[in-house]
Amino acid sequence: MRSYLLRRLPSALLVLVAASFVIFTILRLVPGDPATALAGPDADAATVAAIRERLGLDAPLLSQYAHWIGSLLKGDLGPSYAIGGQTADLIGDGLGATTELTVAALLFVIVLGTAFGVLGATSRSRWLTGAVRVVTTAALAVPPFVSGVLLVLVFAVALPVLPPGGRVAFLTAPDLAAQYLVLPALCLALPSAAVLGRYLKDGIERGLAEDYIRTATAAGIPPRRLLWRHTLPNALPPVVTLLGMQVGNLLGGAVLVEAIFAWPGLGQLAEQGLQRRDYPVVQDLLLLLVAVFVLVQLLTDLVYAWLDPRIRWE
Amino acid sequence: MTQTTDLLTAAPPPAARKPRATPRSRHPYRTALSTARARTGLVLVGLVVLAGLLAPLLAGHGPTDQSGQSLAGPGTPGHLLGTDDLGRDLLSRVLYGIRTDLGIIAVAVPAGAALGCLLALVAAAHPVADTVVQRVFDLLLAFPGLILALAVTAILGPGRIPVVLVIALAEVPVFGRLLRGGVLVQREREYVTAARVGGGSGSRVLVRHILPNAADPLVVQIAVSLTVAVFIEGAMSFLGVGVRPPQPTLGAVLSQSMPYLAQAPQFAAGPLITVTALVLGLSLIAEALNREIRR
Amino acid sequence: MTELYPLTPSGPSRRSTLRAAGGGALLLGLGLAGCRSAVSDTSSAPQGASAEPRRGGVLNVAVNADFTPALLFAQSGQSLQQRLIYNTLTRYDDRLHPKPELATSWTYAKDGRSITLRLRDDVTFHNGRKFTADDVIFAVKNLQNPLRAAQLRSTAATVTGFEKRGDHELVLKLAHPVNNLFDLFEFMIIADRESVEDAVAGKKFIGTGPFQLKKWSPGSGLSLIRNDAYWQPGRPYLDGVELRVIAQADALISSLRSGQSQLTFDAPGKSLGAVKSDARLTISDYDTGAGAVYLGVNTTVAPLNDRTVRQALAWAVDRDRLVAQTLGGYGLASAAPWPKSSPAYSEANRTHYTHDPAKARELLKSAGHSRLEFPMLHIALPGETAIAESIQYDLKQVGVHVTLQPTDGATAQKKLISQGMPALWSLGHGFAQVQPSTLAVSAYPFNEAKNTSKFRSAAYTKVVREAWTEPETDTAAANALHQKISRILLDEAFLIDLVVRGQLQVSAAGLHGVTLNKFSYLNLDNAYLV
Repeated sequence: MRSYLLRRLPSALLVLVAASFVIFTILRLVPGDPATALAGPDADAATVAAIRERLGLDAPLLSQYAHWIGSLLKGDLGPSYAIGGQTADLIGDGLGATTELTVAALLFVIVLGTAFGVLGATSRSRWLTGAVRVVTTAALAVPPFVSGVLLVLVFAVALPVLPPGGRVAFLTAPDLAAQYLVLPALCLALPSAAVLGRYLKDGIERGLAEDYIRTATAAGIPPRRLLWRHTLPNALPPVVTLLGMQVGNLLGGAVLVEAIFAWPGLGQLAEQGLQRRDYPVVQDLLLLLVAVFVLVQLLTDLVYAWLDPRIRWE
Repeated sequence: MTQTTDLLTAAPPPAARKPRATPRSRHPYRTALSTARARTGLVLVGLVVLAGLLAPLLAGHGPTDQSGQSLAGPGTPGHLLGTDDLGRDLLSRVLYGIRTDLGIIAVAVPAGAALGCLLALVAAAHPVADTVVQRVFDLLLAFPGLILALAVTAILGPGRIPVVLVIALAEVPVFGRLLRGGVLVQREREYVTAARVGGGSGSRVLVRHILPNAADPLVVQIAVSLTVAVFIEGAMSFLGVGVRPPQPTLGAVLSQSMPYLAQAPQFAAGPLITVTALVLGLSLIAEALNREIRR
Repeated sequence: MTELYPLTPSGPSRRSTLRAAGGGALLLGLGLAGCRSAVSDTSSAPQGASAEPRRGGVLNVAVNADFTPALLFAQSGQSLQQRLIYNTLTRYDDRLHPKPELATSWTYAKDGRSITLRLRDDVTFHNGRKFTADDVIFAVKNLQNPLRAAQLRSTAATVTGFEKRGDHELVLKLAHPVNNLFDLFEFMIIADRESVEDAVAGKKFIGTGPFQLKKWSPGSGLSLIRNDAYWQPGRPYLDGVELRVIAQADALISSLRSGQSQLTFDAPGKSLGAVKSDARLTISDYDTGAGAVYLGVNTTVAPLNDRTVRQALAWAVDRDRLVAQTLGGYGLASAAPWPKSSPAYSEANRTHYTHDPAKARELLKSAGHSRLEFPMLHIALPGETAIAESIQYDLKQVGVHVTLQPTDGATAQKKLISQGMPALWSLGHGFAQVQPSTLAVSAYPFNEAKNTSKFRSAAYTKVVREAWTEPETDTAAANALHQKISRILLDEAFLIDLVVRGQLQVSAAGLHGVTLNKFSYLNLDNAYLV
């Protein structure tokens, strides 16, 4: 396993280096610069020039890049340009919020997805399988920004049972935090849960048709036990790959969901940083997202290999 | 958020896939498309596409013509679905919106698919190329799509091109990885060894033998990716980086209707039903194909 | 399938339902069955209903953007916190008469070249330090610093000498008379001079205001708590104020409609329909007008260098439709920048241009054009896009075909201040609500020396300088000069004003006593929740 990791690491690092170049270049190509965004709507040229100098934006691009990488290696990300505060604090806070949202959404994905999958595959009630079908179809066919606005209208405005947006940190007040989490996590989770459900349903249906299950059923082993002990576990390895990819999707989807639910996470931070041309925040944040993605990929591969004995650490 | 549906086709793991059965009387796609499921899908997609194509004939107004009638209800004389906040006819906004969407996804998805497949074929040629291509895919997958969309639009300015580019870039790694996986599986099969022993050159075997057999999941993925593309367009419009206004798109009309959801729900209904029909239809087709291929 | 795998009715299907549902219920139950509800938690009004002012409670204000500490001393996107943390020297009433705040009284010298200010002697900063004349001297010098990017820097720069008479009396000596000194006093916040660098760096905000900083979370909001040592006895009534950043318009409105927030000034026109139909919310229109929607014209792009063509555009836009369809019915269709409370306001100027497509076409024809094509920049937000689409349609009716250029705020800003705008653009401007001369010397789009339209005229420069340096006492002369400014703005039409629109306040029915100053600083001294 160690050699497997060692083999994967260099290319993971390569992705990060390439990503840093791409991120840096894209940001510099975006028109408008942090100095004018900072100078205010009625600033004169001298003010803008002074701000450019203070931020080091008058230096050659290559040295700006070197400065950025240097700050990363030193572990001191420095102050943000426009949003205020330290870049590391901003990203740390945003990461906390987004992690909370993503973990909650992932729980919803797993719980709802398993429910959809198992019900869809094993229920004999036509009514129930039909209902599952409708729900999963709707979850896939309604764009998340519409389902988000609808969820708020129904559960926060019409029947005020949940807050329409905002966040309370989970560690300060878990009971309140959970209520703030429900709607955004649900909105984020629905499409992925539907995918997982359909996928699992397929896997279970195929699994149940396998010869050994038929034999076991004939031998009198309770069907419930077969489902939870044999069929479901066998359908799992690909599900892990799928969940790994879903984490990426959840992070990507957070941009939209965080906007709709005023969730102060990385998506909101990225959008704000981009709008205000806050180079340090956007650069560090995007690179972090790439790193997380690479890491998740690596972990997924490891877990997959661990679950599926056919794959060896070669 | 937008790529979730890709995973409909991620299954099953290669080892579980049986080689295609001995010659059947009908091509499996035809069998798949004649199922009830697929027929429903085809009808839905067909209706939406037809409505988009015939927009100039069906719509009584220009999609950007404004009037003093703000937020008129459905059934208003001359405006079957009513009007939007600027007094534009909603029916023509939706019909022309379909047209714009079709124009975008019909270019973006095939372009992304082609580029992804090309990269996958390059990867199949040599282990070094394989590593490079895989890392390119990783890089493309790692960027959150919508943040990329914001940046790309800021650079290029608004319009169709950034939307097409963002959709295509999102599809490249999806198709690339799918084909690469398929090629790896097929390469180990007996018939490939046979073809090699028989003296076929590497690239010839790849194109003549491996590609056709690895292509099935790609066909399914096209249907799935088309729905993803509709969502990406919608999300970009919602974030204000979509197609240049006042041109309607399904996403633009839908996101314009959001502030009026409580007050004038009919505003959202037209585009929402259309998007749902399109996505539902495409996913039914994808599902039917998927089942038949895996059989 | 059921043939292959017969399930008994009591089989896994029902149990698996329960198990799967159990997980979800656990998560939901954690919140719903918990001891507190996040919904009732937000309605933080003190107990008991009464129309009398009541102590206590925390006010939640929804804002669509965070403030920028680097722009603390400039007029930028978000100014609500200015009068909460800080105070100003004076405050205008609705008719632009200054009233005492930290300055109790003032006397102009006869020649208009100096002013004597007497200051309160019972004011302390949040850190306990006494407020003195030195703090005022520092505040003026601070605004003279170009790095602060203060719009009223030109006015601050006319203060060339300071003469202290004890700790609480101060004479400001002016290079020449100016008639917008009290605009400066309305604008200039008095910050603790020892921590001012910390303030612009976003670390410390120390003022004399009714609330002090508890926590600033960059990008997501500002928490303020009551300043118990505030110089107005018994004030403020509120225990605290939370400014919460909710960037997305629909989310912001939902926050108000659900009772999570009780006040906002950022409700977009498109959402006002939903607000109006909600009995729990009230809309108040500050018709003194802190802002206006305008169509900017780049006068160096042919044929827009021809005044006749620009005037044709001014006749082509249907301002009333703009108010009705894109601004939720709030705002004053106006060809001139001035709100009704401005000394420069006149009905004739307001209706100088009305919707007259025939006249517009005629003017274009007389200038030799039947079809013109221009790009038009606008901000890519839903409300701004609707305004641009509406203008685009009106211009098309007279043969002017406009291609929209939706742009993000930062790019638009850069183009605005670097004179990089395309032929046309639609944006908002401020600064017409105070002394008319301030508009022409401070607001960039109107600046006589250098403006986005690249419009230069000796006559404009002359009349603007005259109006600015006219002593404040001579109202008749001032009014004549204001009329001259209006005439030039209307005739030259390098900025075509469309709608004058003040701040629109959306508040919960139980909130009382909220006011804004002329620069949209929120004043909650007398605000209370019932």
